[in-house]
Amino acid sequence: MKKRTGLVFFPAFDWSIAPIHPEREERLLYTRDQIFEEGVLDLPEIIEYRPQVATPHEIARAHFCVPGVDDQVLVAHRIAAGAAIRLSDRIMSGEINNGFAIVRPPGHHAMRVVHGNRGFCSINNEAVVVEHLRRTYGIKRIAIVDTDVHHGDGTQDIYYHDPDVLFISFHQDGRTIFPGTGFTDELGGPTAYAATINIPLPPGVTDSSLLYVIDNLVLPILKDFEPEFVINSAGQDNHFTDPLGSMLITAQGYARMTEKLKPDLAVLEGGYAIESALPYVNLAILLALAGRDYSYVTEPGNHPGKIVENSQVTNYVHQVVDQLQQMWDKRKDVTVSQLCGGSKYYQRHKNIFYDTEYFEEKQLEKVRACVSCPGYVLIDSHAAQPKIGRCRVMAISIHNRCCKNCIAEAWEAYYEAKKDYRYSYVYLQDKTDDTFITFRRDDQKEWRTEG
Amino acid sequence: MYIGIDVGGTCTDAVLLSEGKVRSTAKIYNTPNNLLTSLVQALDSVMKGVSAGDIERVVLSTTMITNLIVERKYDPVGLLIMPGPGRKLEHYRNADVHILSGAIDYRGREIIPVNEEEVLQAIKEFDAKGYNKVAVVGKFSPRNNRHELQVAELVKKHKPHWQVEMGHRAGGQLNFPRRVDTTVLTCATKEKYRYFVQSVNEALKKRDIKAQVFIMKADGGTMTLESSEQSPVETIFSGPAASTLGAQALTAAGETSLVVDIGGTTTDLALILSGKPLLSSKGVMVGDKLTQVRTLAVKSVPVGGDSVVEMVGKELIIYSERMGQPYCLGGPFPTPTDALNVMGLTRLGDKDRAWEAMSRLGKWANMSPVEVAKNIINLVVDTIVKEIENMFLEWEQEPAYRIWEVMQKRRVRPQNVVGVGGGAAGFVPQIAIRIGGTPVLPPYASVANAIGAAVARPTLQVTMRADTEQNIFSIEEDGYQGKINRSPFGFEQALDLAKEWLINKASRMNIGDQMQDVEITRREVFNIVRDLKTTGKIYDICVQTPRGIQWHIGAGGKLI
Repeated sequence: MKKRTGLVFFPAFDWSIAPIHPEREERLLYTRDQIFEEGVLDLPEIIEYRPQVATPHEIARAHFCVPGVDDQVLVAHRIAAGAAIRLSDRIMSGEINNGFAIVRPPGHHAMRVVHGNRGFCSINNEAVVVEHLRRTYGIKRIAIVDTDVHHGDGTQDIYYHDPDVLFISFHQDGRTIFPGTGFTDELGGPTAYAATINIPLPPGVTDSSLLYVIDNLVLPILKDFEPEFVINSAGQDNHFTDPLGSMLITAQGYARMTEKLKPDLAVLEGGYAIESALPYVNLAILLALAGRDYSYVTEPGNHPGKIVENSQVTNYVHQVVDQLQQMWDKRKDVTVSQLCGGSKYYQRHKNIFYDTEYFEEKQLEKVRACVSCPGYVLIDSHAAQPKIGRCRVMAISIHNRCCKNCIAEAWEAYYEAKKDYRYSYVYLQDKTDDTFITFRRDDQKEWRTEG
Repeated sequence: MYIGIDVGGTCTDAVLLSEGKVRSTAKIYNTPNNLLTSLVQALDSVMKGVSAGDIERVVLSTTMITNLIVERKYDPVGLLIMPGPGRKLEHYRNADVHILSGAIDYRGREIIPVNEEEVLQAIKEFDAKGYNKVAVVGKFSPRNNRHELQVAELVKKHKPHWQVEMGHRAGGQLNFPRRVDTTVLTCATKEKYRYFVQSVNEALKKRDIKAQVFIMKADGGTMTLESSEQSPVETIFSGPAASTLGAQALTAAGETSLVVDIGGTTTDLALILSGKPLLSSKGVMVGDKLTQVRTLAVKSVPVGGDSVVEMVGKELIIYSERMGQPYCLGGPFPTPTDALNVMGLTRLGDKDRAWEAMSRLGKWANMSPVEVAKNIINLVVDTIVKEIENMFLEWEQEPAYRIWEVMQKRRVRPQNVVGVGGGAAGFVPQIAIRIGGTPVLPPYASVANAIGAAVARPTLQVTMRADTEQNIFSIEEDGYQGKINRSPFGFEQALDLAKEWLINKASRMNIGDQMQDVEITRREVFNIVRDLKTTGKIYDICVQTPRGIQWHIGAGGKLI
């Protein structure tokens, strides 16, 4: 069946991290050439839109940027996130059935607290859209399926304690690739257990095993979760020619997967085989979203029988799927008090490495293990980021479904932190009424933005 | 002195301009199947008392090729395509098309070679079916034309008398399906267009005019009559472009205007932003074919002075088709023109018949003739205003691929609403009120198209892509591809090369004097990085002659 598919193509031909960095002007040049040459923009079912510019408030719904949004976020980031917002609005209005944001820079390594750029990402385009959809349209259940070869650790971090956002990531096993996380036991916090699913795959997976994972694990979980909106973090670095990943997926495999996932919105993430993969994979995904025949999209050098999967890889993939199926089936037997040992808070320490600028952040993250709501989150974070030097901040996030007690406690924590001289900045994100507050100790100033 | 001639379907309009003033105008009803007579008549009537030696330039616009294509009166063309991997091209799978092996990628590298056996087989089949025109088109041929050249050469070798056109010459932009259609149309119309060129040359010879002769293009520029023979498709939709330029010439320089050309059954809308006509981001669509022909952004609304109006229940409906003249001019049905007559907004036609038309419509709905007329006018204005809003929205929503493009666009609304065409006087003031602009009804509005032709200037554009890793460069407009033979070859050298190309082109067309200020409309540099080493650069550069018109005739006609 043919569909109406929205496209925002934003290759940012005037922006790069550095001249020879993988995230440079050239990255989507050949994708542009291929998409233009194929004439797909003339197809009646494909509608191209201009990106909009995400506002600081739209970004602050998802992130605590230290010290502020404007210090961490460039115009390029705001446009990439704005592209995804634009498509989500057109989808909600019914003008299009689904959409593809072929944009750079990417975002899935950007976590809730942003001290700098990590894994080529500064802000999380998908999270900005999720918060926009919840606030603007009251959507309750959203799923994000991350199909990048790297673990979507940023997205996982933002929604680790959110039972309303299902995050599923398959990726090359963290023991063999950046960022080194995303194992099967990372399943979300006590109030959001099994709303985070990680499927680590061994190097060498081909189309057949990938589709096995989709059919036997991803689709059944999605079906049970019943999301109202599905976002695909569409990284293209599982391609057999990618210089960073070691997977063996083809353009056909990507298209078939897209057809099965049926995402409402796909947002481009990584993928740095800019000549041998991106032009073909982007084209195949776009055609698949539009319900068009993509069977003639083949990359040069790929012919039947060329790519063969090792049987050990196949067996290993089946084991991982088995293990996660069992976990999923028993998820409801696990209680909040079991997960946090009966204490009031569930807490974890995190060391977060910012690989672009080489510095580390230390975090203590606490979530209120509430039995009647998702709880609120307290993050005590410090880092020596190059921009402002050593700095410690307290960030408080109130889920939009928080109960009265949790809201009151969270605000109390905010007032307490304001008095605590150790925190240079204190932030409060209250999703129940869409306010965002920043307190700066230096001059005792407080800003508030509202949606 | 300059002459502008617009050869339309029923009329040929002409003007003579001298020092930026209109010396004379003419409207000639065409003699069917005799272009020469119409042209000579038009020339004679504007040139009264003027010697042929004083004419410096003649510019023509014509709907001839547009009509040929829309009415499908062109010759059959056999098509040889090399689409390679990519989209499935369902609609090419018919008898006139042979899909050949051979593929080139986005950087012009060969992926799959041509299979000559297949080409010979295709020639045989075309021959058996009686074809003698063939279009050869490959995907990414603007990046490497080798396959197209190879196939075309084979065809020429076996069939020296066949007409063969190649995609990289006819359609150098990146869009394969549009390249196919543009090449086919070029192939199909060349022979017929020659008749037009011959008639023009003969008419000028008869009146001893030795001036330079140009043809209007859809983008508001001109090309020499001689060079237009290679690309007749470029002349399509030059009529609306001529009208827009005419409106531009008849208003003050540098202003933002909306041009509303209200004709019999359609209203054409065009935009002039700060004195420059807005170009469409996509090529012309003609009939059911999408082409690569650059065009001004003209939007056609299916409503005009002769549209049929009916009362359905208590509601007025305007139909898009024309069923003859307005009722007040002896036609069969009530029209917006009758409404204008009743409201005293036009003197066209018979007053009594106009009132009769309105009261007939109002009878069932219990409305007075004046009420009906008011409602009809409102309905027409509503329809047009809605499309105007859409047009601005579409412009604001045009895709942007660079940060500066996203950040620079502002909301713009026109200062002027310029009315041209028959129905303009009655509607334009009301349209202007609705969108907050000043209504302008310029003098000579009925021959704005011919004025536009006369003031149009030659435009040349050179789009160059150079790839220093492969040491090649190509010129989109000419289908030229060659080796870079200068060293070092940096951005400055690349820009110089593009400019030289433009200047050479201009001198070949004998318009070298217009080359003082070359505009650079695109200057992009991409580092080609492989394995963390910069292995080359891609330069994307576009240079053009300044766009604009020869003269502003004046800023008269403002209704305040």
